[in-house]
Parts: sequence; C-alpha cells; structure tokens
Amino acid sequence: MIGQLKILKWLFIFIFLANYSISIGQKATNDILINISTSVNTNDSLSIDKLKFYLSNFNLLKEGEIVWTEKKSYHLVDISKQKSQSFTFILLKSIEFDEVQFLLGTDSLTNTDGVMGGDLDPTKGMYWAWNSGYINFKLEGTSSPFPFEFHLGGYAPPFQTVQKIKLQTTNRNRLNIGLNITDFLNQIDLTKTHKIMSPGKEAQQLSILLSTLFSISE
Amino acid sequence: MNKNNIIAFLSVFAFFGSAMYFPYTTTPVKIKYPEYWPKPVYNFEKNPLTQEGIDLGRKLFYDPILSKDSSISCSNCHLSYTAFTHVDHKLSHGINDSIGNRNSPSLMNLAWHNSFMWDGAVSHLDFQALAPISHPAEMGENINNVILKLTKSTDYVKRFYQTFKDSAITGEYLLKAISQFELTLISCNSKYDSVMRKAANFTLQEENGYQLFKKECSSCHTEPFFTNGKFENNGIPLDSVLLDYGRYNITKNPNDSLKFKVPTLRNIEFSHPYMHDGRFKNLSEVLKHYTTKVFPSKTVSKHLANSISLSSNQKVDLTSFLLTLTDKNFLFNKKNAFPRKFYFPSTEKK
Repeated sequence: MIGQLKILKWLFIFIFLANYSISIGQKATNDILINISTSVNTNDSLSIDKLKFYLSNFNLLKEGEIVWTEKKSYHLVDISKQKSQSFTFILLKSIEFDEVQFLLGTDSLTNTDGVMGGDLDPTKGMYWAWNSGYINFKLEGTSSPFPFEFHLGGYAPPFQTVQKIKLQTTNRNRLNIGLNITDFLNQIDLTKTHKIMSPGKEAQQLSILLSTLFSISE
Repeated sequence: MNKNNIIAFLSVFAFFGSAMYFPYTTTPVKIKYPEYWPKPVYNFEKNPLTQEGIDLGRKLFYDPILSKDSSISCSNCHLSYTAFTHVDHKLSHGINDSIGNRNSPSLMNLAWHNSFMWDGAVSHLDFQALAPISHPAEMGENINNVILKLTKSTDYVKRFYQTFKDSAITGEYLLKAISQFELTLISCNSKYDSVMRKAANFTLQEENGYQLFKKECSSCHTEPFFTNGKFENNGIPLDSVLLDYGRYNITKNPNDSLKFKVPTLRNIEFSHPYMHDGRFKNLSEVLKHYTTKVFPSKTVSKHLANSISLSSNQKVDLTSFLLTLTDKNFLFNKKNAFPRKFYFPSTEKK
C-alpha cells in the first residue's frame, strides 16, 4: 500500500513538472491574427446602417495544397461589433502557407443540416424563416434619396450564392483581409437595384460581384 | 496513511464528482416505430432526444408565449386530438384575428420528412418553428424577443439548463427543444398498421378499398407514410383570391407552378378540411375532384393524366379503407396533449 502511494506521489510531481515545462518551454504554435475590414466612403449622401456577412471554411494552402483547415469555421462579421472583425488561427509553427481560401457565405450542408449555435444561431438575424437558409451577406443603408437593402443568400441550385475567395499572402502572423463596399455600391445602379431580399438570379450575381472585391494587405 | 484514509479520500472525491454531475443527468429517449419502416432522415445525433428536452418542447408547443401578444401557441392550429391540424378551419389563424393563407398541415412522423410547409419552404424540421413564430399573420413575434420572455421564467430557465446544460437560452436550444417534442409524434398504430403486422384483418370493403388505393392513389400517397414527400399539382385550379403558386414561390421554376407537398393520408378522418387552402370540406368532395374535376394545366401530375374513374360503390370502399388510417392511440395519447402538469404542477394528482 505504501509503495503504491509513493508511486502516486511521484506521478503527481511528474505531472506538475511536465505542465511547468510546457508553460515555460518554446511555444510550438503560431498565432495568426485575422483582421477583416470593410472600406466604404460614407458621406452626406451615403450612409450604412447594417453590414453583416459570413466568412466560413477557412483553409491555408502552400503551393496549391491545403496545409491547414480551421475547425468549425464560421465567422459572422458585423461592422457594428469590433470583436467580430478579428479572430485568431492557432497552428503549428512548422506549417508554411502562401494562400488563404475561404467562403463568402455558408455552404449548402450548413443550410440543410439542422439548427446550429454560435455565429450560426438563428437569433443572429441571418436566417430566413420563410424560405429556409442563411443570409450570407446583409447590407442596408441609404444612398440619398434611395434606401437600399441587400440580403443575399440562397443555397439551392441553380441560384447558389456562396462564393470561394482565394488570396495570396506572404505574411506569417497577420492577415488583413479587406472588402471594398464602395466599389460594390459603385458597380450597382441603385436607382434600379436597391432591394434584394430572396434567393434568385440577382442575389447570385451580386454575390459573384462581391467575391471579386476582397483583397489582402500586408 | 492507511487503508481507511484512502477510502475516505476516494469517497470525498466520489461525493464531489457525483454532486457535480447530478444536476446534469438527462434521460435519453429513443423513438419507437415499426421495424419495417425505413430509417428516419432526421439526424438524432445532432439533437439526441431526452425526456427533459421532449417535456420542454411540449411545454413550448402549448405555450402562447411564443406569440407577440401571448395569444397564440403552436397548438392553436395544431390540435393533438385532430392529428395536430386545425380541424374545420380552412386557413390558419394568428394574432389579432388574422387569417393566414394556408391550411395548417397535420403533424406526424416528421422524422421521415426532409421538407416542410406546403411549398417545402423549410428544409429542416429544426427551422420550421421559426416560420410561424415570425409570420405577421401567425405569431408575429421575433425569436430574440421569445428568448427574452423565456429568460424571465424560472421554470423555463431551469428546463433549458436541465436539457442543454447551459445557463443561457439560445435560438438553437429553443428550436431543438421544439423539434424534440415534434419528433415523438409518431402515428403507427392504426387498423391499417395492425393489418400490416398481421394482427388484424381488413373487412371485405376495406380490402377492396385498399386494392383501389394501391392502384389509383399510392404513387403519390406512398406507404407507409402515405406521402412520397414530393411536390405535385393535383389539378385543383388556382384560387383567384389567394393566388398561391405553391412550390414555384420557392424555386421560381415555372415547372413547379401550382405544386404543393403531397400530404399524408394518415388520420385523414380527423384532418379535414383538405388541400393546401382547405377548399374541400369532406372526403366525398375530394374523391369527386379526383374522379371528375382535375383541372388540366402544364404542371398537372402525370399520375393524373388519365382521369380516375370510380363507381359510387368503389368510392365507399376507398373511403372505408382511408378510415383504417385513423390511429386512436396517437390521437388520444396523453403524452401528446396539453401538459397541464407543466403549467399547474400543484393541480396534478399524485
């Protein structure tokens, strides 16, 4: 009995020391800060009331091969919430990458797989009750005198709206991903198109336009 | 240190261990259905049924707290004694005496459905409840506000905690709980089911009706659920007031114009009036439609291309078969009915 207790004691000491050595030792992981920014030139005639969108399924690639995949990769970016505009990837230092890939929106599996929590919780205002599916991108505002409302979404063929974005990078610690909303609004004739609230061809076309307006700055 | 010390040490551990886990225990529940039915399409792994979750969902189902003015609950339009539909009402009713534009469908065997609503607008059972909660002519409420109201109720906070082991009530938990109750609504004990299990026999008339059913109706109302889950135009002309194009509204595909989801025929005796807008009061009107009044159009179901002809005797036989789909075990099951004990615990007989 005494012998067993001694072993137990050494076991505790070992666990303690092991923990300690990990905490003071070299960090084996690298934290990459992801910053999402949206640029829009608001002025007397243009105001933005709401801008929210999903970025999901983040992958890091090296020479075209996926080297790292984020688990449960869903991020609801909301310009009214500073916290939602940055997040961190933690990956092994040995992983090298030269490209980041992600989806603007949510894939069809997410849309048909039952209710989920966190950023995908339907209380976030990004779910359509009367035509099932997530709103991938929401932009509301006024370009005087026109109020505009773009709720872009839809996962069912032929009007899928989710877009894959691929951006090259050389930075190891920080990815500043930008979305140019000014360009988006400039490329739409707001006198004709100012309200899209359901899946369809228009939602798809505007989603494709958005996918070209992402950039990465070093 | 001796043996007693060790025992004392371990029992303290065991005490704290069990004390920590005791309030978390939930009672797992498995749904029961005939072995010859296919596997459910609902993924129970993502929302495992527990007695606590089912009870919570049942309380929510019967609670008008889900509506804006606390006047309408799910059960207003889905009454347990009539196969969870609003018997004798053509169109659904909502807050402020508003009338919706569709006939409330019956609710049963939902774990085998992969689309919901007459037009298939909802792709997963979990999300279905969002639609009536937010519809201005139904509950007219916002899910965030529902959660705010629930958070003020100590009984709900306790029930959500017991079920999901989380002190916060979220949209995910709310919808999962409602799904849990709805998933238990299984109708598989009608006379038809007894005959299939070889525990009963059809009368001669019912048997004749069954043969007619298999010949004329079963391509859309497929056994054992009496629906193929697809969308069909059954030849009822467009209502000029409601102007409801059904599935087309969702897909924007002209080939889907005037198509609606094929409803189950189980418990049809209790689910009148019939069709998406409740236009037929009784089964004889329905049979009259299929035998004489199918309205030809581009999208009408190919199964109705040749009109169905039935003699008046055959209509009687077919109707007597349809009545064997009545499942009184389901209709009058106390587990499905208003849970008085959840609202007024002190009135419950011990």
